[in-house]
Amino acid sequence: MYFDLHVHSAFSEGESSIRELAAQAKLLGYHGICFAEYFKNKETMEKLKEELNQVEKEIGIKIFLGFEARNANELKRLVKLRREYDILLARGGDLSLNRLAVETPEVDILTHPELARKDSGLNHILVREAAKNNVAIEINFRNIMLNTKNSRAIVLKHIMENIKLCKKYKAPIISCSGAISHWQLRDPKVLISMAVVLGLELKQAKDTLSAVPQKIIEQIKERRSEKWIMPGVKEL
Amino acid sequence: MDNAWSEGIMKLRVLPASLRERKRYILFKVIAEAPIEYSDLEAAVWNTMLDFLGEYGVSKTSVWLMKERWDGKEQTCIIRCNHLSVPQVIASLGLITRLGDVRVVIKILKVSGTIKGCFGRKS
Repeated sequence: MYFDLHVHSAFSEGESSIRELAAQAKLLGYHGICFAEYFKNKETMEKLKEELNQVEKEIGIKIFLGFEARNANELKRLVKLRREYDILLARGGDLSLNRLAVETPEVDILTHPELARKDSGLNHILVREAAKNNVAIEINFRNIMLNTKNSRAIVLKHIMENIKLCKKYKAPIISCSGAISHWQLRDPKVLISMAVVLGLELKQAKDTLSAVPQKIIEQIKERRSEKWIMPGVKEL
Repeated sequence: MDNAWSEGIMKLRVLPASLRERKRYILFKVIAEAPIEYSDLEAAVWNTMLDFLGEYGVSKTSVWLMKERWDGKEQTCIIRCNHLSVPQVIASLGLITRLGDVRVVIKILKVSGTIKGCFGRKS
């Protein structure tokens, strides 16, 4: 079972509708996708939830609602509302946000930590924190696909550095398309192959699309239960 | 004998099985906005692979796009490579975003050691 947990629809920066993205993901063989949108307010969140439920029934694919925090304030606001949506992503690239994200156990995924940077955006300390707080580090396929020539070479180098650190400190790695259009979604086998090319073993590469997302999805159910208080704490 | 060699009539003897390269055939489908031509696909595959893997990298994959296996109706084709280069070739195919002006997504249908195997049960 494969899951793509970082897709943007027209609701935030995307170009395609939720329906188009869900249909394409189903065609490519995904069992579930997560729409990582930008948070506006509670009302729009409720509307979005309704639309996602409707599309889920129509297309027959598991759909999750996620929010991507673009700065520290947004992240703090989203942490407070953590029970009301499925997945919390933090938009990597800014060093202080990278640090805050890996230190926050409520965060599920740190997206493209190397985005628009001259370094990989992570070091041994941050990766150790990510492993401790179970924050998955993302391999973003769009970041590789849309860059060309020397900029792609630099992105690949940074991702390989991050993978090496994640392997050493056993931090979870997740592969996502990061698509903003249904034409940017990629076959799960393509994402697995890219992870292998970038330095993961085949089993580890498959886990980045199945075991790691599934673990995040399991946590959603736990979080929804009344016994859950905060990450690592629940009523017995 | 010399004449036969120079005129290109003589063929090399086939290598023994133990010395031959182990091949993999990748069956893929092009999902596109509009039907595409084989020539566009061929150009995109070679350009993308050369960009991503480089000339040296491509030489190590023993890659070959099989024109005779292009199905214009189903928009499927087979690409051949050696058994060690399957991830590199699939990753390269995933980097193709456009064929001409048409936006595309490549869906991998099957990887097999034989052409016949590609058309068995699709994974």
